[in-house]
Amino acid sequence: MFEIKVEAPLDTFEVHTTENRGHTPEEVAELCVNRLISIGDNSHPALQAQARAFRDRMLAVVTQYVKMGIEQDRATISAELSKAGHSDMAEILRRL
Amino acid sequence: MAFTGNFMCTSFKQELLEGVHDFQSGGNTFKLALYDNNASFTAATTAYTVTNEVGDSGTYAAGGGTLTNVNPTTSSTTAFTDFADLSFTSATITARGALIYNDTAAGDPTVVVLDFGSDKSSTSGTFTIVFPTADASNAIIRIA
Repeated sequence: MFEIKVEAPLDTFEVHTTENRGHTPEEVAELCVNRLISIGDNSHPALQAQARAFRDRMLAVVTQYVKMGIEQDRATISAELSKAGHSDMAEILRRL
Repeated sequence: MAFTGNFMCTSFKQELLEGVHDFQSGGNTFKLALYDNNASFTAATTAYTVTNEVGDSGTYAAGGGTLTNVNPTTSSTTAFTDFADLSFTSATITARGALIYNDTAAGDPTVVVLDFGSDKSSTSGTFTIVFPTADASNAIIRIA
């Protein structure tokens, strides 16, 4: 009488990998913005253009804040290393 | 023996009707385990297995990574749920696909089989699985 269709993803999953490094702030920001904003292929072209412009602006903002987060975290770890008497390591971290 | 596409496990559909799975934030713990291309999972796969799972490396350990549940919601007449993207860092991994399973429920029952389409590799780096857009047309699990 009633049918519930339980659907699995049809497309290939996206996997992002790196070699000898982590993701850059730009790559993390891209992941973030892609989660926050999706632009429908069937939307009106004017709306798509507006959404893309907004997405690009958000990408710049999120990238800036990801970088700020990294800097602040390094500052906190650097301060902890200094307090623990590892000022050389703290200095290396500050210069990164 | 190889991955042959994405599957929602048939046993999972039955278990939904039996109330086995709780996808709410703070509900059951779901995990994602990575496998090489010797694994052959289908819709008939019922439980997590260590066979053909990739080796421990960096933050990846046997059993896979814990997924962050996003509370189920609805859009129009479709209900769907989602997970946050998952990363393994400082890892040297080559994986062809993955299994999502319920680590809380008895017997580690499977939810879905994911086929990456080709081998994906990280070398002393980050291996990130990006989940599809959480909407009525693309979310990882949808009930229409």
